Amino acid sequence: MTQRTRIVIALALLLAIVLAVFAVDWLRQQNAARAQATLPPGAVPIYLDSKLRGGFQPTDLERLQKVSFTEPAEGKVQEGWLVRDVLQLYIDIGKLKPASSITVSSSSRGKSAELTWAEVGNPANWVMFDLSNRGTLKLVSTLEKLDEREEWVQDADRIEVQRQ
Amino acid sequence: MKQRYFSTFELILLAFLAVLIVVAKIALRTPLQMPGHSGIFWMAIIIVAAGVVRKPGATSLVGLTSGILAAFMGMGDSGALNTLLSYAMVGIGADLALLLLRNPENLAVDVLVGVFGHIGKFLVKWAMGAMSGAPLGFVALGEARAIVGYIVFGALGGLLGGVTLQALRRAGFFAYLMEKR
Repeated sequence: MTQRTRIVIALALLLAIVLAVFAVDWLRQQNAARAQATLPPGAVPIYLDSKLRGGFQPTDLERLQKVSFTEPAEGKVQEGWLVRDVLQLYIDIGKLKPASSITVSSSSRGKSAELTWAEVGNPANWVMFDLSNRGTLKLVSTLEKLDEREEWVQDADRIEVQRQ
Repeated sequence: MKQRYFSTFELILLAFLAVLIVVAKIALRTPLQMPGHSGIFWMAIIIVAAGVVRKPGATSLVGLTSGILAAFMGMGDSGALNTLLSYAMVGIGADLALLLLRNPENLAVDVLVGVFGHIGKFLVKWAMGAMSGAPLGFVALGEARAIVGYIVFGALGGLLGGVTLQALRRAGFFAYLMEKR
Protein backbone atom coordinates (compact mmCIF):
# COMPACT_ATOMS: atom_id res chain seq x y z
CA MET A 1 0.00 0.00 0.00
CA THR A 2 1.44 3.38 -0.96
CA GLN A 3 1.72 6.31 1.46
CA ARG A 4 -0.84 8.22 -0.60
CA THR A 5 -3.38 5.38 -0.20
CA ARG A 6 -2.78 5.30 3.56
CA ILE A 7 -3.38 9.05 3.81
CA VAL A 8 -6.61 8.76 1.80
CA ILE A 9 -7.81 5.94 4.10
CA ALA A 10 -6.96 8.07 7.15
CA LEU A 11 -8.91 11.04 5.76
CA ALA A 12 -11.90 8.78 5.01
CA LEU A 13 -11.78 7.43 8.59
CA LEU A 14 -11.68 10.99 9.95
CA LEU A 15 -14.71 11.95 7.87
CA ALA A 16 -16.55 8.84 9.09
CA ILE A 17 -15.83 9.76 12.74
CA VAL A 18 -17.09 13.34 12.27
CA LEU A 19 -20.24 12.14 10.48
CA ALA A 20 -20.90 9.57 13.22
CA VAL A 21 -20.67 12.30 15.90
CA PHE A 22 -23.14 14.49 14.00
CA ALA A 23 -25.50 11.55 13.39
CA VAL A 24 -25.59 10.60 17.08
CA ASP A 25 -26.13 14.25 18.07
CA TRP A 26 -28.95 14.59 15.56
CA LEU A 27 -30.63 11.49 17.04
CA ARG A 28 -30.22 12.90 20.58
CA GLN A 29 -31.73 16.18 19.41
CA GLN A 30 -34.76 14.37 17.97
CA ASN A 31 -35.25 12.46 21.23
CA ALA A 32 -34.90 15.64 23.28
CA ALA A 33 -37.44 17.42 21.10
CA ARG A 34 -39.94 14.57 21.60
CA ALA A 35 -39.38 14.47 25.37
CA GLN A 36 -39.73 18.23 25.85
CA ALA A 37 -42.37 19.22 23.34
CA THR A 38 -43.09 22.57 24.99
CA LEU A 39 -39.54 23.90 24.68
CA PRO A 40 -37.20 23.94 21.68
CA PRO A 41 -34.38 21.36 21.89
CA GLY A 42 -31.40 22.65 23.86
CA ALA A 43 -33.45 25.36 25.62
CA VAL A 44 -32.83 25.77 29.35
CA PRO A 45 -36.18 25.83 31.25
CA ILE A 46 -36.77 28.71 33.67
CA TYR A 47 -39.15 28.07 36.57
CA LEU A 48 -40.67 30.79 38.76
CA ASP A 49 -42.13 29.46 42.02
CA SER A 50 -42.10 25.95 40.48
CA LYS A 51 -44.05 27.03 37.37
CA LEU A 52 -42.44 26.87 33.94
CA ARG A 53 -42.08 30.41 32.56
CA GLY A 54 -40.16 29.63 29.40
CA GLY A 55 -36.87 28.37 28.07
CA PHE A 56 -33.66 30.29 27.56
CA GLN A 57 -32.83 29.57 23.93
CA PRO A 58 -30.23 30.57 21.34
CA THR A 59 -32.53 33.14 19.70
CA ASP A 60 -32.54 35.05 23.02
CA LEU A 61 -28.84 35.76 22.63
CA GLU A 62 -29.54 38.42 19.98
CA ARG A 63 -31.39 40.43 22.65
CA LEU A 64 -28.66 40.11 25.29
CA GLN A 65 -25.44 42.03 25.71
CA LYS A 66 -22.28 39.91 25.78
CA VAL A 67 -19.99 40.58 28.74
CA SER A 68 -16.64 39.20 29.87
CA PHE A 69 -14.23 39.16 32.77
CA THR A 70 -10.89 37.51 33.46
CA GLU A 71 -11.04 35.20 36.44
CA PRO A 72 -7.99 35.59 38.70
CA ALA A 73 -7.42 31.92 39.65
CA GLU A 74 -6.50 30.61 36.17
CA GLY A 75 -6.37 33.84 34.18
CA LYS A 76 -9.15 32.46 31.97
CA VAL A 77 -11.44 34.87 30.14
CA GLN A 78 -15.10 34.09 30.86
CA GLU A 79 -17.35 35.46 28.15
CA GLY A 80 -21.12 35.21 28.02
CA TRP A 81 -24.38 36.63 29.30
CA LEU A 82 -25.38 37.84 32.77
CA VAL A 83 -27.96 35.60 34.48
CA ARG A 84 -29.72 38.81 35.55
CA ASP A 85 -30.27 39.74 31.89
CA VAL A 86 -31.42 36.21 31.02
CA LEU A 87 -34.00 36.23 33.82
CA GLN A 88 -35.25 39.64 32.71
CA LEU A 89 -36.45 38.10 29.46
CA TYR A 90 -38.87 35.75 31.23
CA ILE A 91 -39.52 37.15 34.70
CA ASP A 92 -40.53 40.52 36.09
CA ILE A 93 -37.33 41.03 38.06
CA GLY A 94 -38.82 44.09 39.76
CA LYS A 95 -40.90 41.70 41.87
CA LEU A 96 -37.89 39.78 43.17
CA LYS A 97 -36.69 40.47 46.72
CA PRO A 98 -32.99 40.61 47.64
CA ALA A 99 -33.44 37.27 49.43
CA SER A 100 -35.25 35.57 46.53
CA SER A 101 -33.34 32.43 45.56
CA ILE A 102 -32.07 31.54 42.11
CA THR A 103 -30.84 27.98 41.62
CA VAL A 104 -28.95 26.97 38.52
CA SER A 105 -28.46 23.22 38.17
CA SER A 106 -26.97 20.60 35.89
CA SER A 107 -28.68 17.21 35.87
CA SER A 108 -25.82 15.49 34.05
CA ARG A 109 -23.17 16.76 36.49
CA GLY A 110 -25.37 16.51 39.59
CA LYS A 111 -24.28 20.04 40.50
CA SER A 112 -26.21 23.15 41.44
CA ALA A 113 -25.59 26.62 42.82
CA GLU A 114 -28.08 28.52 44.92
CA LEU A 115 -27.74 32.30 44.84
CA THR A 116 -29.82 35.20 46.07
CA TRP A 117 -31.23 37.90 43.83
CA ALA A 118 -29.01 40.38 45.69
CA GLU A 119 -26.00 38.44 44.37
CA VAL A 120 -27.31 37.75 40.86
CA GLY A 121 -28.76 41.24 40.36
CA ASN A 122 -25.46 42.97 41.14
CA PRO A 123 -23.46 43.15 37.87
CA ALA A 124 -20.24 43.61 39.84
CA ASN A 125 -20.52 39.92 40.85
CA TRP A 126 -20.40 38.78 37.19
CA VAL A 127 -22.93 35.98 37.75
CA MET A 128 -23.07 34.83 34.16
CA PHE A 129 -23.33 31.97 31.70
CA ASP A 130 -20.12 31.31 29.79
CA LEU A 131 -20.29 29.13 26.70
CA SER A 132 -18.34 25.90 27.16
CA ASN A 133 -16.25 24.35 24.40
CA ARG A 134 -19.12 22.00 23.57
CA GLY A 135 -21.54 24.90 23.30
CA THR A 136 -23.33 24.25 26.60
CA LEU A 137 -23.86 26.82 29.36
CA LYS A 138 -21.54 27.10 32.34
CA LEU A 139 -22.42 29.21 35.39
CA VAL A 140 -19.44 31.24 36.61
CA SER A 141 -18.97 34.31 38.80
CA THR A 142 -16.44 36.27 40.82
CA LEU A 143 -18.41 35.39 43.97
CA GLU A 144 -16.35 33.32 46.38
CA LYS A 145 -18.69 30.34 46.12
CA LEU A 146 -18.45 30.28 42.31
CA ASP A 147 -14.97 31.50 41.45
CA GLU A 148 -13.20 28.16 41.09
CA ARG A 149 -13.49 25.46 38.47
CA GLU A 150 -14.88 22.91 40.94
CA GLU A 151 -17.60 25.36 41.93
CA TRP A 152 -18.78 26.29 38.43
CA VAL A 153 -21.98 24.63 37.21
CA GLN A 154 -21.09 23.17 33.83
CA ASP A 155 -23.75 21.89 31.39
CA ALA A 156 -26.45 23.94 33.17
CA ASP A 157 -29.91 22.75 32.15
CA ARG A 158 -32.37 24.27 34.65
CA ILE A 159 -32.96 27.64 36.32
CA GLU A 160 -35.33 27.89 39.28
CA VAL A 161 -36.41 31.15 40.87
CA GLN A 162 -38.21 31.23 44.23
CA ARG A 163 -39.60 34.66 45.15
CA GLN A 164 -40.42 33.57 48.78
CA MET B 1 17.13 -12.96 29.84
CA LYS B 2 13.98 -11.74 28.15
CA GLN B 3 14.46 -8.42 26.34
CA ARG B 4 12.12 -5.69 27.50
CA TYR B 5 9.94 -3.94 24.91
CA PHE B 6 11.05 -0.44 25.95
CA SER B 7 14.59 0.15 27.20
CA THR B 8 15.08 2.10 30.43
CA PHE B 9 16.43 5.01 28.39
CA GLU B 10 13.31 5.01 26.20
CA LEU B 11 11.04 4.86 29.24
CA ILE B 12 12.83 7.85 30.77
CA LEU B 13 12.42 9.80 27.52
CA LEU B 14 8.71 8.95 27.30
CA ALA B 15 8.11 9.81 30.96
CA PHE B 16 9.87 13.14 30.43
CA LEU B 17 7.61 13.90 27.46
CA ALA B 18 4.52 12.89 29.48
CA VAL B 19 5.50 15.37 32.20
CA LEU B 20 6.10 17.98 29.52
CA ILE B 21 2.50 17.57 28.33
CA VAL B 22 1.14 18.23 31.83
CA VAL B 23 3.49 21.19 32.34
CA ALA B 24 2.52 22.63 28.94
CA LYS B 25 -1.15 22.29 29.82
CA ILE B 26 -0.65 24.14 33.11
CA ALA B 27 1.91 26.76 32.11
CA LEU B 28 1.28 27.62 28.48
CA ARG B 29 -1.72 29.81 27.83
CA THR B 30 -2.88 31.07 24.48
CA PRO B 31 -5.31 33.98 24.24
CA LEU B 32 -7.51 31.95 21.86
CA GLN B 33 -11.06 31.45 23.08
CA MET B 34 -11.46 28.38 20.89
CA PRO B 35 -12.11 24.74 21.72
CA GLY B 36 -9.06 22.49 21.61
CA HIS B 37 -6.45 25.25 21.26
CA SER B 38 -4.10 23.55 23.71
CA GLY B 39 -3.71 20.75 21.12
CA ILE B 40 -0.98 22.84 19.47
CA PHE B 41 1.30 22.06 22.41
CA TRP B 42 0.49 18.52 23.34
CA MET B 43 0.11 17.05 19.87
CA ALA B 44 3.54 18.49 19.07
CA ILE B 45 4.95 16.63 22.09
CA ILE B 46 3.15 13.42 21.12
CA ILE B 47 4.63 13.58 17.59
CA VAL B 48 8.09 14.12 19.06
CA ALA B 49 7.51 11.05 21.27
CA ALA B 50 6.49 9.01 18.20
CA GLY B 51 9.64 10.10 16.36
CA VAL B 52 12.05 9.65 19.23
CA VAL B 53 10.82 6.18 20.28
CA ARG B 54 9.71 4.44 17.12
CA LYS B 55 7.77 1.57 18.63
CA PRO B 56 4.02 0.95 18.62
CA GLY B 57 2.67 1.85 22.05
CA ALA B 58 5.14 4.68 22.71
CA THR B 59 2.60 7.49 22.33
CA SER B 60 -0.04 5.47 24.21
CA LEU B 61 2.38 5.19 27.11
CA VAL B 62 3.00 8.97 27.02
CA GLY B 63 -0.77 9.60 26.94
CA LEU B 64 -1.48 7.19 29.77
CA THR B 65 1.34 8.54 31.96
CA SER B 66 0.32 12.16 31.41
CA GLY B 67 -3.30 11.16 32.08
CA ILE B 68 -2.40 9.59 35.42
CA LEU B 69 -0.36 12.66 36.38
CA ALA B 70 -3.11 15.07 35.32
CA ALA B 71 -5.82 13.05 37.11
CA PHE B 72 -3.84 13.06 40.37
CA MET B 73 -3.25 16.80 40.01
CA GLY B 74 -6.99 17.38 39.72
CA MET B 75 -6.79 18.86 36.24
CA GLY B 76 -9.85 19.19 34.02
CA ASP B 77 -13.35 20.09 35.09
CA SER B 78 -15.12 16.80 34.40
CA GLY B 79 -13.58 14.48 36.98
CA ALA B 80 -10.50 12.30 37.19
CA LEU B 81 -11.81 9.50 34.94
CA ASN B 82 -12.60 11.94 32.14
CA THR B 83 -9.15 13.51 32.47
CA LEU B 84 -7.35 10.15 32.53
CA LEU B 85 -9.24 8.78 29.52
CA SER B 86 -8.96 11.93 27.43
CA TYR B 87 -5.20 12.25 27.97
CA ALA B 88 -4.68 8.53 27.35
CA MET B 89 -6.82 8.65 24.21
CA VAL B 90 -4.58 11.34 22.72
CA GLY B 91 -1.73 8.83 22.79
CA ILE B 92 -3.82 5.83 21.74
CA GLY B 93 -5.37 7.77 18.83
CA ALA B 94 -1.91 8.83 17.66
CA ASP B 95 -0.65 5.24 17.97
CA LEU B 96 -3.55 3.85 15.93
CA ALA B 97 -2.98 6.49 13.24
CA LEU B 98 0.72 5.63 13.18
CA LEU B 99 -0.10 1.94 12.65
CA LEU B 100 -1.79 2.97 9.41
CA LEU B 101 0.39 5.90 8.34
CA ARG B 102 3.75 4.65 9.69
CA ASN B 103 6.47 7.23 8.98
CA PRO B 104 6.40 10.00 11.64
CA GLU B 105 9.00 12.05 9.77
CA ASN B 106 6.66 12.83 6.92
CA LEU B 107 4.96 16.19 7.64
CA ALA B 108 1.64 15.14 6.06
CA VAL B 109 1.64 12.04 8.28
CA ASP B 110 2.42 14.19 11.34
CA VAL B 111 -0.51 16.48 10.59
CA LEU B 112 -2.89 13.51 10.28
CA VAL B 113 -1.53 11.78 13.40
CA GLY B 114 -1.98 15.07 15.26
CA VAL B 115 -5.58 15.27 14.08
CA PHE B 116 -6.37 11.66 15.04
CA GLY B 117 -4.79 11.96 18.48
CA HIS B 118 -6.63 15.17 19.21
CA ILE B 119 -9.96 13.98 17.83
CA GLY B 120 -9.56 10.96 20.17
CA LYS B 121 -9.61 13.39 23.10
CA PHE B 122 -12.68 15.09 21.68
CA LEU B 123 -14.44 11.73 21.29
CA VAL B 124 -13.81 10.84 24.94
CA LYS B 125 -15.24 14.15 26.14
CA TRP B 126 -18.17 13.93 23.74
CA ALA B 127 -18.96 10.28 24.61
CA MET B 128 -18.70 10.90 28.37
CA GLY B 129 -21.00 13.90 27.97
CA ALA B 130 -23.54 11.92 25.94
CA MET B 131 -23.46 8.97 28.39
CA SER B 132 -23.96 11.23 31.41
CA GLY B 133 -26.94 12.89 29.71
CA ALA B 134 -25.25 16.29 29.30
CA PRO B 135 -27.46 18.78 27.48
CA LEU B 136 -27.00 19.30 23.77
CA GLY B 137 -25.08 22.35 22.64
CA PHE B 138 -26.92 25.56 23.51
CA VAL B 139 -25.84 27.47 20.43
CA ALA B 140 -26.30 26.14 16.92
CA LEU B 141 -23.18 24.41 15.58
CA GLY B 142 -21.56 24.40 19.02
CA GLU B 143 -20.42 20.81 18.48
CA ALA B 144 -19.28 21.54 14.92
CA ARG B 145 -17.17 24.44 16.21
CA ALA B 146 -15.59 22.12 18.76
CA ILE B 147 -14.80 19.44 16.15
CA VAL B 148 -13.28 21.98 13.77
CA GLY B 149 -11.22 23.43 16.64
CA TYR B 150 -9.90 20.01 17.63
CA ILE B 151 -9.04 19.11 14.03
CA VAL B 152 -7.33 22.42 13.24
CA PHE B 153 -5.30 22.62 16.46
CA GLY B 154 -4.45 18.89 16.29
CA ALA B 155 -3.15 19.43 12.76
CA LEU B 156 -1.14 22.50 13.78
CA GLY B 157 0.30 20.58 16.74
CA GLY B 158 1.19 17.67 14.44
CA LEU B 159 2.92 20.04 12.04
CA LEU B 160 4.83 21.71 14.88
CA GLY B 161 5.89 18.26 16.15
CA GLY B 162 7.01 17.21 12.66
CA VAL B 163 9.09 20.36 12.22
CA THR B 164 10.60 19.79 15.69
CA LEU B 165 11.55 16.22 14.71
CA GLN B 166 13.27 17.49 11.56
CA ALA B 167 15.16 20.09 13.61
CA LEU B 168 16.21 17.39 16.10
CA ARG B 169 17.52 15.24 13.23
CA ARG B 170 19.51 18.16 11.81
CA ALA B 171 20.92 18.86 15.27
CA GLY B 172 22.20 15.26 15.48
CA PHE B 173 19.85 14.19 18.28
CA PHE B 174 18.99 10.88 16.62
CA ALA B 175 22.65 9.98 16.18
CA TYR B 176 23.07 10.68 19.91
CA LEU B 177 20.06 8.45 20.67
CA MET B 178 21.55 5.57 18.63
CA GLU B 179 24.68 5.72 20.79
CA LYS B 180 22.59 5.66 23.97
CA ARG B 181 20.58 2.64 22.85
